[in-house]
Amino acid sequence: MVTSRMTKPWKKWVIYTGLGVGSVVAFFPFVWMLLASFMTRGETLRRVFAPTTLQWGNYVEAWREADFGLYFENSLIIAAVQVVGTLLFSLMASYALARISFRGREIVFACILATLMIPETVTMVPNFLTITWLNRHSPVAWLNNWPALTIPFMASAFSIFLLRQFLRGVPNELWEAARMDGCGHSRFLFQIVLPLCRAPLLTVGMFTFIGSWNALAWPLLVTNSPTWRPISVGLQQFVNEAGPEVHLQMAGAVIATFPVLLAYFLIQKEFTESISMSGLKG
Amino acid sequence: MKDMKPISAIVVAVCALTLGGCGGPEKTPMVEVDLETVDPQNQQVTFWYQHTRQREEALETLIAEYNQENTHGIQVVGEYAGAYSDIYNKMLVGLQGGSLPGLVVAYQNQAQAYYRDGGVVDLQAYMDSPKWGLSKEERADLFQAFLKQDNVGGVQMGFPPNRSMEILYYNMDWLQELGYDGPPSSWDQFAEMCRKARDQPFSKSANSKRSLGFLLEFDASRLASMVFSRGGAYMTADGSAYTLDTPQVREVMSLMHELEQDGAIEILTERYGDTSEFSVGQLLFALRSSSGLPFVKSGLESAGTVFNWGVAAPPYSGEEPVVNVYGASLSICRTTPEQQLAAWLFIKWFTQPEQQARWVRASNYFPVRRSTAQELGTYLAENPPYQTAYELLDYGRSEPSVIGYEPVRRMIESAMVDIMEGENVDKVLARLEQKANETLANP
Repeated sequence: MVTSRMTKPWKKWVIYTGLGVGSVVAFFPFVWMLLASFMTRGETLRRVFAPTTLQWGNYVEAWREADFGLYFENSLIIAAVQVVGTLLFSLMASYALARISFRGREIVFACILATLMIPETVTMVPNFLTITWLNRHSPVAWLNNWPALTIPFMASAFSIFLLRQFLRGVPNELWEAARMDGCGHSRFLFQIVLPLCRAPLLTVGMFTFIGSWNALAWPLLVTNSPTWRPISVGLQQFVNEAGPEVHLQMAGAVIATFPVLLAYFLIQKEFTESISMSGLKG
Repeated sequence: MKDMKPISAIVVAVCALTLGGCGGPEKTPMVEVDLETVDPQNQQVTFWYQHTRQREEALETLIAEYNQENTHGIQVVGEYAGAYSDIYNKMLVGLQGGSLPGLVVAYQNQAQAYYRDGGVVDLQAYMDSPKWGLSKEERADLFQAFLKQDNVGGVQMGFPPNRSMEILYYNMDWLQELGYDGPPSSWDQFAEMCRKARDQPFSKSANSKRSLGFLLEFDASRLASMVFSRGGAYMTADGSAYTLDTPQVREVMSLMHELEQDGAIEILTERYGDTSEFSVGQLLFALRSSSGLPFVKSGLESAGTVFNWGVAAPPYSGEEPVVNVYGASLSICRTTPEQQLAAWLFIKWFTQPEQQARWVRASNYFPVRRSTAQELGTYLAENPPYQTAYELLDYGRSEPSVIGYEPVRRMIESAMVDIMEGENVDKVLARLEQKANETLANP
């Protein structure tokens, strides 16, 4: 006992030092990105650590040159549609898999989980063929339009898995009480379970938002003009020929990452709570 | 383990179904048509390119002009389709889905892959056509070496719209401080200069604590420049085998390793790090593409370090300089005979001296027609580094254009890392050549 008490502060010190170093390592690229975005090109070339005066003009130049306004708007619409769709379909699918008994339920769930093991690049060609077919046979244009950018990602195996883990923990007594009051599955899900799922839903929404915001290969594949292209394409386009203009590249990167950081800061409490409840570890 | 079996079976089944979905493209049969009777009237041609910002603006201006002026009513629609690798992926997926553009930017090895899958057409017939093709004068005006880069086994898979080359940027003022009156003429002299630069920082350097001769980038094109200049090549003349285990490759890598051990050069770890350090007077030499000339120029202006600089061919061992000339070409996708012809007519217009001169001014690439020099007027005189590089065009040599060159590039870069980390050069190169040649058997 004496030994244990004596080593405790030492252990704490080691843990906090480790965490501190980890935080600095994780945070430094962001700090550097932010500082470089305010530098003159000369300062980035001379590799100074901080700008002498803040060059707000870099943001204006990056915004104007890369047409970020349009891309930003596109990304927001695409992400919003995708988040709403994913939440709706994942919630319903996970509810069925967690709370409704039917034949072959575990097989269906195993099939859904199995899709997690298939790399995105492998599914790209079949997805594209499907979208091309739909584009030819549907009254709404799929290619170079929001459906191709959002609908294929509304069925998310990971989101279903995450929500199913949570829904399995909802007490059965709640369902029995609701049934006695004449509730069916839909009403139980949307009126009783939904308000309880705030944390996992926000987490799923967050993951979907980040995935949608960062998507690059797929949007490039299914779009052929800036009309529906997201900000990741705008940023790539800008970086490719900005050459060694690091200050502008970083200003563009700050603009592109800002919404993701903001979203995370707003829901970080629910995010951590949900991850710990689902049994996932980073 | 027993419980795992059904899940494993499901995973395998799902994977098989997914992969099974990637069936081959529904190829339309090749139909022989008489090109002279094809009518390109009112065709729309989608053009996938990689240019952005100023280059894209200039290209779109040229496209708009063509759309307005051409007498056939052809409409070219330019589309930014991502970087080269994105375009390649988009083309491969498009080949499966049957949705290809009319015209695409492609490196030679990429064009070969498209051709193999029936995605692009042989341009020879278009070039030779009495009605639509190139005249004798026009053909003679082209840099033959550029055209040859796109010709594999007698098939013209692309047509060059422009080219770039690898050139050596040097700090003239610093060289004079070190006791030299010009860029290095041999690799031994290059090594000597790098060592001196390490010991004697440039008087106008932004940071005299850091002084280097060169930054080596793990890049197949950079290595190719150094190998070519020593009389070597990456491949046999007939393209049947890679020649990567040669005295020239060995000499280059041994020298680089030796200079790095001496502290005269370092490994490039940051994108464009060499041009950045060159701009602030910390680096004596940079080996880069000629298309980066405007960036170096503007970098020097931004950094505020005023010094005389120039460009030259990399040091060479033979009687004449040898430079690595490269660039993506334009390939015509297999669509309809009318669209294909319309795409060719745009290429032909775009590569005429007047348009080339405007494109050169906007992009800083090299033109593909000799007579463009006359159109360029004062541009050459006002841009001495560009003119120096322009005069080296006749000494160009190119990297392999076989299908599997892309993975071989990565192998070369990995071999460079191994050698710089101290592995035995002979062993690494023997292994590299063997692995590279294996890709030829199964591209």
